[in-house]
Amino acid sequence: MIQQIKSWLEDATVDIFIGYRDVDGHAVPHGYTADRLEELGNWTVGTHRYPLETFALHLARIHPEATIGLLGRDCNQRALNVLSVWNQLHADRIRVLSLSCCPSALKTRADCSYLVPRKSGSFKHQVGVDAEMEAAELEALPSGERWARWAYEFQKCIKCYGCRDICPVCFCAECSLESDELVGTGKLPPEVPIFHLVRATHMAGRCVDCGLCEEACPADIPLRLLYRKVNAIVEDLFGYQTGSDTAQPPLSVLGDRVELEPLPMEKTG
Amino acid sequence: MTVKRVRFIQELLRFVGLEGRVHLEWISSAEAGKFVQVVTEFTETIRRLGPNPIQRTVRPFKASGPRRLGTSSAPSEAETDAESSEEPAAASHL
Ligand code: SF4
Ligand code: SF4
Ligand code: SF4
Repeated sequence: MIQQIKSWLEDATVDIFIGYRDVDGHAVPHGYTADRLEELGNWTVGTHRYPLETFALHLARIHPEATIGLLGRDCNQRALNVLSVWNQLHADRIRVLSLSCCPSALKTRADCSYLVPRKSGSFKHQVGVDAEMEAAELEALPSGERWARWAYEFQKCIKCYGCRDICPVCFCAECSLESDELVGTGKLPPEVPIFHLVRATHMAGRCVDCGLCEEACPADIPLRLLYRKVNAIVEDLFGYQTGSDTAQPPLSVLGDRVELEPLPMEKTG
Repeated sequence: MTVKRVRFIQELLRFVGLEGRVHLEWISSAEAGKFVQVVTEFTETIRRLGPNPIQRTVRPFKASGPRRLGTSSAPSEAETDAESSEEPAAASHL
């Protein structure tokens, strides 16, 4: 892997390669470049995950001409696909070096932080929504209880925006979650359930189920389950598969484009 | 498209347990009778569903840390407290 990156940097296949670097035992995202090849000595790969494509996106916004290489897990690849479907990244300026992260009998370890099952306490089991729950299990409950459980989860939100900031497909320059008209800013918990449902709606046709938001959430809200459901609805209604479809997602366009000739003011009056 | 978008919202709300409160219907300006019928039926549906469960479940956030000296709960806070305690006991639970 290191040899491959070295040759990509040396023959200028990529201008920068984004991977991880070992800093005192911690893996930190790092951009390797041709003029500092010796840094590859600290190259590391492990279970830690960052949305490396977000770094690529920010770099591409500053240097639109650069070719960027990055280490890609399955989730990174799906996110890259979504970013290119939404015209945020040019697929031809991105080179991905695949990292096989999923467990398999052929390798000794699985390089993903998500594979450790999460455990919830008994209180959460009683009144909340457990992250390990399946959508169908939840739907089997009466609606009043379903609402009570989600309300319990949503009310724990401390509005740190961690879920949005870590999300590889939350790329908007202006975020609705900070708009006073939409979600009523400046209150804690953020307006229940609007704050979470706004984000859920935005994740329709976008969320690649990487699970980073749920890992980042300090309040342990089962966000991934909510967004998974949203994308199941999108698939049911529109036949759209997020992350693998190459067309624009169904909720991103305002219906068919209307081409109307603007009329001069005096004639319309 | 609109039908599917509204279906999307209905499904999402159903998933969090707030179903039945969004309805879509096409009514032409010539169909006064239909308009009255649809609105009456939907009003009835909403009435049957009862009051907005969001207000019943979601309690306003109160800082539970050490209170600053001398601020014996602001008047507005006292008011809302009084209001909520008048509601039936069941309302303050899930
Ligand atoms: S799982 Fe969370 S972080 Fe990952 S794409 Fe979906 S919303 Fe974003
Ligand atoms: S929450 Fe919505 S508006 Fe905010 S960055 Fe994500 S997709 Fe964009
Ligand atoms: S990460 Fe969790 S606590 Fe922070 S804003 Fe998102 S849902 Fe709320």
